[in-house]
Amino acid sequence: MAKQYDVLFRLLLLGDSGVGKTCLLCRFTDNAFHPSHISTIGVDFKMKTLEIDGIKVRIQIWDTAGQERYQTITKQYYRRAQGIFLVYDITSERSFQHIMKWASDVDEYAPEKVQKVLIGNKSDEEHKRQVATEQGNKLAKAYGMDFFETSAFTNHNITESFTRLAELVLQANKKDLDLLRVSINDQLDLSALEEEAGVCDGSSNAQKTCWC
Amino acid sequence: MDQSVAIQETLDVGENCLIAVQCLLLLRNGTESRLLGLVECSKEHALFLFSHRRMAITGNDVTLQEIIPISYDFSVVEVSSPDELAVVGADTRVRVTFLNEEMELKLPFGSHTRLFLTEVNRAWCDVCEQYPSSPKFAWLNKYQKNFKEPGSLTPSATRKIKKRDRSNTAHKENKHATSSTETIRGESLHESSQGREKAEIRNELVRSSQHTVSNKAQMLTMPQFGLRDNLVKCELLKKEETYTYIENFNFFLGTYNVNGQTPKESLHTWLGSTAQPPDLYCVGFQELDLSKEAFFFNDTPKEQEWMKAVSDGLHPDAKYALIKLVRLVGIMLLFYVKKEHAEYISDVEAETVGTGIMGRMGNKGAVAVSFRFHNSDICVVNSHLAAHIEEYERRNQDYKDICSRMFFRQLDLTLPPLTIMKHSIVLWVGDLNYRLSDLEVDEVKNLILKGDFETLHNHDQLKRQMDEEAVFVGFMEGEINFQPTYKYDTGSDEWDSSEKCRVPAWCDRILWRGKNITQLNYQSHMNVRNSDHKPVSSLLKIGIKVVNEEIYKRTFEDIVRSLDKLENECIPSVSLAQHVFHFSNVKFMQHQAQTLTLYNDGQVPCQFEFIQKLDEPAYCKPWLTANPPKGFVAQGASVDIDLEVFVNRSTAPELNSGQQQLEDILVLHLERGKDYFISITGSYLPSCFGSPIHMLCQLREPIQDMPLETIHKLNSLPRETSSPDTEKALDIPKEIWMMVDHLYRNASKQEDIFQQPGLRSEFEEIRDCLDTGSLDTLPGSNHSVAEALLLFLDALPEPVIPYSMYQQCLDCCYSNSQCKQIISLLPQCHKNVFNYLTAFLRELLKNSAHNRLDSNILATIFAALMLRSPTKQDILEKRKAKEFFQHFLVQESH
Repeated sequence: MAKQYDVLFRLLLLGDSGVGKTCLLCRFTDNAFHPSHISTIGVDFKMKTLEIDGIKVRIQIWDTAGQERYQTITKQYYRRAQGIFLVYDITSERSFQHIMKWASDVDEYAPEKVQKVLIGNKSDEEHKRQVATEQGNKLAKAYGMDFFETSAFTNHNITESFTRLAELVLQANKKDLDLLRVSINDQLDLSALEEEAGVCDGSSNAQKTCWC
Repeated sequence: MDQSVAIQETLDVGENCLIAVQCLLLLRNGTESRLLGLVECSKEHALFLFSHRRMAITGNDVTLQEIIPISYDFSVVEVSSPDELAVVGADTRVRVTFLNEEMELKLPFGSHTRLFLTEVNRAWCDVCEQYPSSPKFAWLNKYQKNFKEPGSLTPSATRKIKKRDRSNTAHKENKHATSSTETIRGESLHESSQGREKAEIRNELVRSSQHTVSNKAQMLTMPQFGLRDNLVKCELLKKEETYTYIENFNFFLGTYNVNGQTPKESLHTWLGSTAQPPDLYCVGFQELDLSKEAFFFNDTPKEQEWMKAVSDGLHPDAKYALIKLVRLVGIMLLFYVKKEHAEYISDVEAETVGTGIMGRMGNKGAVAVSFRFHNSDICVVNSHLAAHIEEYERRNQDYKDICSRMFFRQLDLTLPPLTIMKHSIVLWVGDLNYRLSDLEVDEVKNLILKGDFETLHNHDQLKRQMDEEAVFVGFMEGEINFQPTYKYDTGSDEWDSSEKCRVPAWCDRILWRGKNITQLNYQSHMNVRNSDHKPVSSLLKIGIKVVNEEIYKRTFEDIVRSLDKLENECIPSVSLAQHVFHFSNVKFMQHQAQTLTLYNDGQVPCQFEFIQKLDEPAYCKPWLTANPPKGFVAQGASVDIDLEVFVNRSTAPELNSGQQQLEDILVLHLERGKDYFISITGSYLPSCFGSPIHMLCQLREPIQDMPLETIHKLNSLPRETSSPDTEKALDIPKEIWMMVDHLYRNASKQEDIFQQPGLRSEFEEIRDCLDTGSLDTLPGSNHSVAEALLLFLDALPEPVIPYSMYQQCLDCCYSNSQCKQIISLLPQCHKNVFNYLTAFLRELLKNSAHNRLDSNILATIFAALMLRSPTKQDILEKRKAKEFFQHFLVQESH
């Protein structure tokens, strides 16, 4: 029997207010859908355990406030993420256009190795569609991201997109993983590794502030 | 205070008390206060338990009572007493166990206790990671000596640990047996007893996995080793029935006392006697070799000979694989399975227990194999118990010894070793040596001739002892329809014809314990004549739990999902009554507060704290405070946090000028949980307080009558330029004039003017009057107006003598003319204010008989406000500033 070990990492959901980030998260972790819109005011998270290539992966998924007034604060969470979902609403041209801004923020604030996936949510609302699938595809291609159209309402592509991002993160960290797999048999915390690396730059960690 | 200091004083060099906690030791008749310290020495850890007087400050205050080495045999678990409701915020009750001893302690609620337990846990995890190498605890030996001094312990110390008895039978006699002289037990670490301790932990785990959500949550949040995996295992075990089904397999069990003989004939008639080939074979031998060599060196050629004989004698219609052979002197057990079943056999472990001479040697005793077949755990025991007709109690004792001393290592070393009885199926074969009581040899032979086995069986010692539940409790045996298998003349079917002429007996038996077992056949084999015993066989049909892989996978995933769900439910969470707070019409030095109510709507108690945002020096802007900024909310409880806004002289200027707004976002962080954003907004009413002199000179109207944009624009104008508007600027701010004029007219003779504080409420009226022009004369007492004037000067963003000229003023403070010279260089409006104020002060000094002022007092007060340092002032600077100012208080000659 192979010794079990865990990998823990963080995924972040970003996008305009109302595109359905919280619903994506609820659908994925609790398999539930709550149609009423209550804005997330803060940063929420949930845990989920997946098995990818026989590796037990525990992911912490962070759901952020999308409202503009909070963006200066939510940016500070980016650096702790290993994977990021950029989410827009296919029925909102505006939310799609804002993806560029979100993406540039990610480039600025997230770690270099961060993996990204583009999500066009609310694919069930075809009659209200403002953003063609092709547009999403094109944008994703331009940024070198994977792209999914999802529906938290009908549970379309939810598991697929989360699993995909988790796989990407695993691949991107494969080197660290393989190294550690040999020597360590208990929990491997990628997020902890990131933080240790962060200590070296010294600037931001001077104060004892906890964002977790 | 940190009581580890006191403990540290009692320790040797190289020993460190890492952390200490005061606790209550639970005794049978109450509690006693103790000090518990975690002591480290060269990477080994032990818990030291001290009695203490008062709050322990020095080493003299504590007396060592007990040392518990943190070894593999150590455990500490949180327990919730069944008769107490789990109260959030209640003391933490823990059970500390070491080998056979345990004690219960109550630790005070709080983070310190958590920290303590975490440290202890970490120490224990370290030990586990080192396994199988174990700590030696040599450094504890010196303490052991101390304990041996009689009377060094209080009587209560002997009561506190109750011995847990091993056999679960002898409760009474043990109660007084524990003396604290045996309190160090570091040596016997890997003795058999470790199994029990680990079993406790597991039981604890199983029990708590059925506990309330919050209990589980606490476990999940504890940084404990592999806890999640254990929970998954427990849940899988609980749901085993859903993903397994019962399938029957035939087990062939055999036992044969070969009396030291070598195999001379085929065993096929015994082992191959079933119609169909059995699925598994478990074949036990006794007295394989009676030689001294076998006894002393446990080495015998007979092992190979008999193994070969067995292999050759198995049912010919199937292929078998030998899975395990285990032997102790003459007791041997062979375990075969049909080839196709081999892949479903796992976790095979073999052990032996000697119960012979000195209770240890291998001439008597048992060998056993523990294994898993599909999802069932099975233990097969082959034993040879004590001989002689009258020794049945000795046989009972051998059985008990075997049960209590046989431990099987588990693959997962963090799990406790298994005992025989922990297996869901136990198959027991052997020469159990029970005889027939109360019958003469002739009577026995007669009954056998008549085939009256029933009567005979009633005299069987094993049956009688089992009926009395003295031995083999819970075991079954099939009906015996064969004549006794002992004792024959070797090579024949004739009863023992030797001098001893033994009474025949059913020495050789096969028993089982467990569910879904039916015996298909139980017989002896008369035509095997190799020994003075006859071999016995039993064919059992056993229902084995076979896993349905698909359902198993689904169940596993369900469990993982439900654990995730549980974990998510247990993330600390609160609800906020409001996310947005607006403070309207905030005024200078006016306190406004609103209440933020946190309600803990989660499943666990939580700790909250407002945390700093990146690149900001504090968790909030300087005009805002949250009180309390951190704290604790119990589950289902709520806490009120006061959000207070107060604009003082340091924050007012930027708010007046529009460079800053009353806007902030607070980040409320829950430990291990979410973050909440709380928006604070507000409107600030600009005030003359905190506005620059040159700007106020441009305002002919009260400041609050002006449009905000105008104020902001005027603020941004450089000091020297006059208003672009044609209107001429005022010489001095009208607000200064109003206050000074008011004082000049009303307070010149006021006793203790500028020395007595005003009233806060009156200040607010004066401020409003100045900012809105609502009244023609200033309200409030003279003292309040005087104080308002001082506050006004204090709040000026640029003092009357600008910061840039501060040093110059100090440098020339001894020269009257140079001082005057500097003042002439001030910007016009500043110069006006300075001259106006000093003139007023000189007027006041004329009335010093009434107002009791002198130039010394006034210079001290006003120099500090008008000649302010851009940085912190030292005493010398203060003196110089006063000196400077005093030149201007001298009455000029007219």
